Amino acid sequence: MSPHYIIALKNIIRSKQRSIVTIVLSAVSTAILIFSTALMDGEHKVLLKSAVEIYPGYIQITHKEFRENPSFDNLIFDTNSVINKIRQKDDVDTVTSRFETFVLFATDEKSVGAMLAGIEPESEAKVSKLKKSLMEGSYLDSDDKNKVYIGSELANKLKVKVGDVISFIGTAADYSFCADNVKVKGIFQSGLFEFDANSAFLNKKYFDEIFVSSNISTHIIVQPSVIEDSLDISQDISKSIDKELTSKSWQEYMQALVDAMELDSVFGYITLGIFFIVIFFVVLIYTLLSIFSRIKEIGVLRAIGTSPKEILQMLMFESVVLSFVSVAIGGIIGGAVAYYFNINPIDFGSQFDEQFKQYGLVNTLFPTEFNLLVIFRDMAIMFFLNILSTLYPIMKVNRYNPVEAMHHV
Amino acid sequence: MNRLLVLFSIFSLYLYAITTDEIIKKVEDNLNGKTLTMTLSMEVYTKKTKRKMAMESFSVGTEKSFIKITYPKKSKGITFLKIGNSMWQYVPKIERVIKIPASMMLQSWMGSDFTNDDLVKESSISEDYNHELLLEDDNVYKLKLMPKDDAAVVWGKIIMNISKEYYLPAVVEYFDEDDELVRVLEYKDIKKFENKYYPTYWVMTPKTQDKIGHKTVVSIKNVQFDKDIDKSYFTKRALKRYSK
Repeated sequence: MSPHYIIALKNIIRSKQRSIVTIVLSAVSTAILIFSTALMDGEHKVLLKSAVEIYPGYIQITHKEFRENPSFDNLIFDTNSVINKIRQKDDVDTVTSRFETFVLFATDEKSVGAMLAGIEPESEAKVSKLKKSLMEGSYLDSDDKNKVYIGSELANKLKVKVGDVISFIGTAADYSFCADNVKVKGIFQSGLFEFDANSAFLNKKYFDEIFVSSNISTHIIVQPSVIEDSLDISQDISKSIDKELTSKSWQEYMQALVDAMELDSVFGYITLGIFFIVIFFVVLIYTLLSIFSRIKEIGVLRAIGTSPKEILQMLMFESVVLSFVSVAIGGIIGGAVAYYFNINPIDFGSQFDEQFKQYGLVNTLFPTEFNLLVIFRDMAIMFFLNILSTLYPIMKVNRYNPVEAMHHV
Repeated sequence: MNRLLVLFSIFSLYLYAITTDEIIKKVEDNLNGKTLTMTLSMEVYTKKTKRKMAMESFSVGTEKSFIKITYPKKSKGITFLKIGNSMWQYVPKIERVIKIPASMMLQSWMGSDFTNDDLVKESSISEDYNHELLLEDDNVYKLKLMPKDDAAVVWGKIIMNISKEYYLPAVVEYFDEDDELVRVLEYKDIKKFENKYYPTYWVMTPKTQDKIGHKTVVSIKNVQFDKDIDKSYFTKRALKRYSK
């Protein structure tokens, strides 16, 4: 190791206070960056995952026009053949069909408009959290008749409990009038407030008798074997099904939500960015002061024959070592905190219950995202930010000639 | 001179207002009478299906009405009662009287291109809208109806062509708040019943993208004006009682 590197290390050890303050300052900001990123990413992941898994599913097949115009002219009219075709694919785990419609529910006291959907109870349980969201009573069976599985908030609105009977009136697939009485078999709470307040489910076999919808559906939901492949599998399905139909992965049909999350991330990074500009200048000023207090020392080094290049190398080496140590410490602390809250999710429940409900959420547990790649990225950002902030003071001090420097007070 | 002109124009506006109000009043009277009973058959066309329904209707002015479905078998015995702005429905299959909530007023009525609101609110054209005469020729008055500021109405604008001969509507165009044509209702085939005329063939055609190929046709028979209708029809108990 050349002597000026050794001098650099000695400098670090000699000026303890300066080194410790620099290390603490950047270690803390590294830890904060890593934790904020982990928290933000974790929150977005929870929101997206729950939005997809509670009910919509990873891949949805509908009639091409259905999303724009959900009328009974735009249904999947040969559901079984489409399902059979998709089931043969290797990368598909589960396929199930749904018929969603809007009905008026009524009890003796109340009538409330809401979604009523016919589902295939067994395969539905594999593509959504519907079965797991059971709160009271029990989930549907494939031979159930006149039994309804209803959202908790809708049950509240209708003032019904498990075992009570409610009526519904609606329009069948052939646009004729239909109505029936159904007994509440189970009440579910998914966590998505709007969903719990506006939906109820029937076994599709029974639903089809009432709504004249045998072999007809509004949606076919596909659960891919590997969730991350949703987009590719969806595009593959699109090619193999009828031209009237379209297959969309959650990223596509939940575009708005995905975009909203991205926008939220951008705002998050802007906020962090402002915070880091402040840190950057603090480090810069601090380095400036500490280096200027060493101008005399640098002058002496120059006078005994050290070249400006070697001075630069020495000071840069100091800065690299300090940055590296602080980023490493910050990374470990930040990573550890992110990991801890990944295992023990933060519960925003008690204070913000009302706000969560307003945003359509009842699930208040938010695990942070623990992703090593992101942590290293944040560490790298902090490392370069640190180096960058010492660059100007170093260049500045190197511009003095030895005599000037030695006379500097 | 100017003042005279202003006075004159106010006066002429006043004259106009009376005229259009009178036209609307006359049309409403002709369409509803003091009381009105009739039988209707309704054909609902969609892109893929065609259905037929039949019903009997009893009404007193624009205030009260009672409708009973008589065909097809699946819907037979379903009854509707309208009093003022409220509407109830009785469905024999579920043995329940259901009050149609305000939020369902724009939903399709029995799967047709008429809405629940058509049965409840259709009547308030004389009260909820400002009327303006657009043009007048030998056969028709063309009226523009704009909702009054405080009126709780569904339409942004209604253009009504009224036959001068019968004082009955011929073509009514309904626009939404963005001035887009939503649907057109045509009244045709005017026939004489006792001493009054009545359109016996109505065609409702939705004009929005989502309803392409849809159409509802109503044929009307046995029109009786100003006959005494038993008061018991216009009670909630009647829904079940006259369902059979």
